[in-house]
Amino acid sequence: MDTLYEALRLVFQPDVMLAILLASIYGLVVGSLPGLSATMATALLVPITFYLSPIAAVATIIAASAMAIFSGDIPGCLLRIPGTPASAAYTDEAYAMTRKGQPELALGICVWFSAIGGIIGTISLIVLAPPLANMALEFSTYEYFWLAFLGLMCSTLVARSSPVKAIASMLIGLLISCIGMENPAGTPRFTFGATDLLGGIEPIPALVGVFALSEVMRAMTTAEPPRLPRRRFGSILKGMIALTRKYPKPQVRGNIVGIIIGVLPGAGADMAAWVSYAMSKRLSKEPEKFGTGHPEGLIEAGASNNASLASGWVPSLLFGIPGDTITAIAIGVLFMKGLNPGPTLFTEKASSMYALYIIFIIANILMIPLGIIMIRIASFVLRAPRSAIMPVIVLLCAVGSFATGNNLFLVITLAAFGVIGYVMERNGYPVAALVLGIIMGTMVEQSFVTSLIKSDGSIWPFFSRPVAAILAALTFAALLWPAFIWVNQRRRRAAA
Amino acid sequence: MHLPDKVSGLFLVGLGVAAAYGGSRLPPVPGQQIGPDVFPMVVGIGLAICGALIALGIGRHFEEEAEADLAAHSDQPAPGATRSKWAVGLKVLLPPALLLFYVVAVDRLGFVPTGAVMVLATALALGARLKLALPLALIAPVGVHLVFYKLLRVPLPDGLLPMPW
Repeated sequence: MDTLYEALRLVFQPDVMLAILLASIYGLVVGSLPGLSATMATALLVPITFYLSPIAAVATIIAASAMAIFSGDIPGCLLRIPGTPASAAYTDEAYAMTRKGQPELALGICVWFSAIGGIIGTISLIVLAPPLANMALEFSTYEYFWLAFLGLMCSTLVARSSPVKAIASMLIGLLISCIGMENPAGTPRFTFGATDLLGGIEPIPALVGVFALSEVMRAMTTAEPPRLPRRRFGSILKGMIALTRKYPKPQVRGNIVGIIIGVLPGAGADMAAWVSYAMSKRLSKEPEKFGTGHPEGLIEAGASNNASLASGWVPSLLFGIPGDTITAIAIGVLFMKGLNPGPTLFTEKASSMYALYIIFIIANILMIPLGIIMIRIASFVLRAPRSAIMPVIVLLCAVGSFATGNNLFLVITLAAFGVIGYVMERNGYPVAALVLGIIMGTMVEQSFVTSLIKSDGSIWPFFSRPVAAILAALTFAALLWPAFIWVNQRRRRAAA
Repeated sequence: MHLPDKVSGLFLVGLGVAAAYGGSRLPPVPGQQIGPDVFPMVVGIGLAICGALIALGIGRHFEEEAEADLAAHSDQPAPGATRSKWAVGLKVLLPPALLLFYVVAVDRLGFVPTGAVMVLATALALGARLKLALPLALIAPVGVHLVFYKLLRVPLPDGLLPMPW
């Protein structure tokens, strides 16, 4: 009880409250602009979090990412252009409702069920984290190695691309993490004599380059999205209670699927939305209505992506293994603020953990009023021309990267990773896998090498401990899954 | 810059082999079997295998499926083919080029003038009219400077144009 009281005291500070409010507005605006994703919104926030108190820093990330995932639905619904990749799965459905003259209903569903999904995801975080933390206390380097590796494999599995290319991206990320002397032996590797490379590649400029700068580069070649017609909306929340009562099953299913996908290391909100939408269509009583502006799939997928956002924090907080790209950034911030992820976080810094839960709940409740305001002013915000937003983003990328270490080499890193990210994306190499590789490389190597030294070079202990064996089996299943799907499809085609 | 899978795959084979070779030449830790060479070698060999598979076109099938799925879900206009390929290619490189300009120029010119050049160039490249681009180039760097220099205390260089705060 004392911890809870302490947590409330931590959260209800003026600076934390202000941080939540400003980050929410920022997340809503950035998420609603097509082409600017929730991950990008979070990556650009990191340099600012340096200068905040630990709780305020984590609060900005939670609030901004939750709002951005919701507000990505707005342009999807009104223009048929998803604001974030997590909204892409049900953009057609939402737009069909707008064409039928029910934009209020579609946007209402997005904001209402996103908020509920977020809160249920938070509850799963509260319930799942402590028992898993107990289990994690028993883990040795073998288990950590498999967990990290499983996370990397999942990130390649969920990429909507060729699995071979995804694995290659992840390996490139691991290779980049080898640069510098941050390895168990402390030997400088791949520095080519440059002192700036001795400290390794900083993840934050690399992230900002891959997610933000390459987006500006892409904007140079694509046409400007169409302008939003000005319109007046009726009541947004009207009929939501009735829908909540009418579709209990899709909601529960969406939330559960979102939670499971979020907990899996490496898989995040985009995946949750695609899986939930497909599942909703398959299991619905009226699948023929899907695609014509039917609320059911929208409810299920909208709840799912926000639920996964909260449960994605489970592996991040417990093992330091990101659940998706947003938590990958958050882990960096946690380390910086002395809230090192790991099972002991729950015993040593319990009040901070509770504070985190409270922030999640506040952010998701705040989403309803702020979301409605955002929907009402969306026609003004989306009117801002791209040629006014992108230049400011370039400037923010430069200053933000510089601020991570007050070193101009970081700006060069940013430029290089912008180019790498752009070229990879153009050629079908998923950049999320690259980023997870960079961030988790040190941990994978650390646990791999320490385990090998402990076992005197033998591979046997990697499989002989029970939990390690289960994790190893899951990892190999993730590796072989694409091959299995391929063989299955071949057989079915041959039979037909 | 769209490359055929054969080219990008073979590039990865080269990168993987180079990494494995570079790793194998690292000095071992005395008295220990497992040194700093193991991890780069494992990763490099894996990368070379993946590169070979990509060059052979394995896994391409999944990509086509995902592309078809995405195409069905959004109707963003395809990149305009009106201008020549080279012009587009150079335009894409503008943002990273501006960042390199920032690295070279910021200490001499100062943050605000350098930022103004970057904003102006990006805005014009994206087709903004001068009526929008000029005021943006004047206001945005000053605003960013105010937030990062004054509130967040990032040591941005003054250069030719120190700000009054």
